Amino acid sequence: MTIAIFSDIHANLPALTAFFKDIDQRKPDAIYCLGDLVGYNVWPNEVIREIRHRGIATIAGNHDEKVKKISAGDTSGKNYAYSLIGEDERNYLRTLPAHLRITFQLNNDQLTLLLVHGSPRSIDEYLFEETNEADLKAILKAADADILCFGHTHKPYLRTVAINNDGHTQYAHAINTGSVGKPKDGDPRGSYILLHINENSSVQDKESVQAEIIRFTYDVEAAAKAVEDSPLPDEFADMLRKAY
Amino acid sequence: MKIALFSDVHANLPALEAFFKDVEQRKPDAIYCLGDLVGYNIWPNEVINEVRKRGIPTIAGNYDFGIGRSSDDCGCAYKTDTEKANGAVSISFTNSIVNDEERRYLRTLPAHIKVEFQLNNDKLNLLLVHGSPRKINEYLFEDREEKSMLRIMADADADIMCFGHTHKPYHRILPTAPEENQHRHAVNIGSIGKPKDGDPRGGYVILHINDNSSIHDKDSIQVEFVRFEYDVEKAAKAVEDSPLPDAYAESLRKGV
Repeated sequence: MTIAIFSDIHANLPALTAFFKDIDQRKPDAIYCLGDLVGYNVWPNEVIREIRHRGIATIAGNHDEKVKKISAGDTSGKNYAYSLIGEDERNYLRTLPAHLRITFQLNNDQLTLLLVHGSPRSIDEYLFEETNEADLKAILKAADADILCFGHTHKPYLRTVAINNDGHTQYAHAINTGSVGKPKDGDPRGSYILLHINENSSVQDKESVQAEIIRFTYDVEAAAKAVEDSPLPDEFADMLRKAY
Repeated sequence: MKIALFSDVHANLPALEAFFKDVEQRKPDAIYCLGDLVGYNIWPNEVINEVRKRGIPTIAGNYDFGIGRSSDDCGCAYKTDTEKANGAVSISFTNSIVNDEERRYLRTLPAHIKVEFQLNNDKLNLLLVHGSPRKINEYLFEDREEKSMLRIMADADADIMCFGHTHKPYHRILPTAPEENQHRHAVNIGSIGKPKDGDPRGGYVILHINDNSSIHDKDSIQVEFVRFEYDVEKAAKAVEDSPLPDAYAESLRKGV
C-alpha cells in the first residue's frame, strides 16, 4: 500500500491546491497530514476547510497550537496570519491530536509507523538530517517507532539506521516530509512523501520499506504576492521565492 | 472535532454508497474504517476501491486478513454446521472474485491505529482495532464483564477504544478510579453492510472530541450512533442472484 504524508502547509492555498492535484493522480491508499496548517500566509481558513472537507487525518503542529496563545485581536506583523483564523477553524485546531501510531502485523511480526510534527517528545523539536545517529536511535527507541515520519524543519530527507537488537540487526527509518507550502531547502517547489509498504515490509529487511520524496510545482508568485499585499512582513514572500 | 468511524462493510456496495452520502452531509473532520471490507456479498472489489479512492485510513478486519492471504479461513466463529457450510461458500466465492491488486491492498492493511491526543497537558488515547487489541477476531460483546473489558483497555493503553466485528453497536463508560471520576470508553461502532442488532439500517459512529475532552470528565467525550437507510433489497437480491447462500439475503433484510 502507498501512504501519502504531507506537512507544513502554512496557509499557502495555491501550494495546497497543487498538492491535491498532484496526489489525486498518484492515488495513494491513505493520506495523513502532519500539521502546521496556518501561519506565514493569508489563507489559513481556506487551507483548514480543504483538509477538513476531505476528512484527512491530521495532527497538530506548533503553529496550529499558537491559536491557544495568540489572541485573534493581535494583527501586528507576523501575528496577522493568526488573526485571520475563524472561530470554527480555531476550535478545529485546538482539538487536533498530537500523534498517530499505525501498527502493521504483516507476518506475525510488528512494524510501527509513528507520525509526529516535530519529534515524538516535543511538537517543536527540530530533527534535522544531521541529527547525531545515537540521539536519533534513542528517540526512535523511546517512541517505539520503526518508521518515524515528521515535518517541522521544512527540509525533506530519508534516513535509515541499523539497530542492534540482541545480536540481530534491525532497521528503522526517519523520514522528514518537507513542506507543502514553505520549503526551506533551496527548492521552492512543494514537497511531500509517498511511503510504500508491501507484504514483506519488516524491520529485518532494510529495502522492504520504501519512501520517495515528491516535489511539485505550484504558483509561487501568487503565494508570494499575497504576502506582499498583506500586513505580513515582505520577507515571507522572498522566503517562498527562494525557499529558505 | 468530529471523527467518523465505520466498519464491517462486507462487500455491500449499496450500503457503502448510502453511508458516504450520509456522512458527507455530517461533515466529519476525519474518517477511519475499522475493516472487514469483504465477504458475504458480491462487491468486494468495488468496496475496496471506493475506500481506497478516498484515501481513508483503514485497518484490517479478520475477513480482510483471510482474503489478503488467499486463505479459506476468515477466523469467523460459526456455531452450527449450516453456518460453517455457508461460511465456506462465502470465503471461497470471495477468494474467486477478488482481483490481485485489491488482494494486495487487503494484505498490507495495518492492524491498529492509535490517535494520541494531548489536549490539556494530559494524554487521551483513541485506539482503533477491528475485534480487540489482542486479537483481530475476538468478539467484544456488550455483556462482557467490566473487569475483563477494563483489563483489555489498560493493557493496550486505550482511554477510548473503538472496534467493530460483532455488528452490534454500543457505548460503555467504564469507571477506572471512581474516586477520581476517571473513566474509559468502549465503543462498538456497529456495521455498515451487515447489521445484526435487529435493525437492517447501516450503522456507524461519530465521535465528538472537544478541547476539554479528558478521562476525568465522562461527558466530555460524546459518542453519536448514526443509522442510515440503504437499498437493502438490492443488496439482498444480489446475494440471491449469486452463488452465495440465500441465508445471507435474509440476514440483510432482518438485520440479524
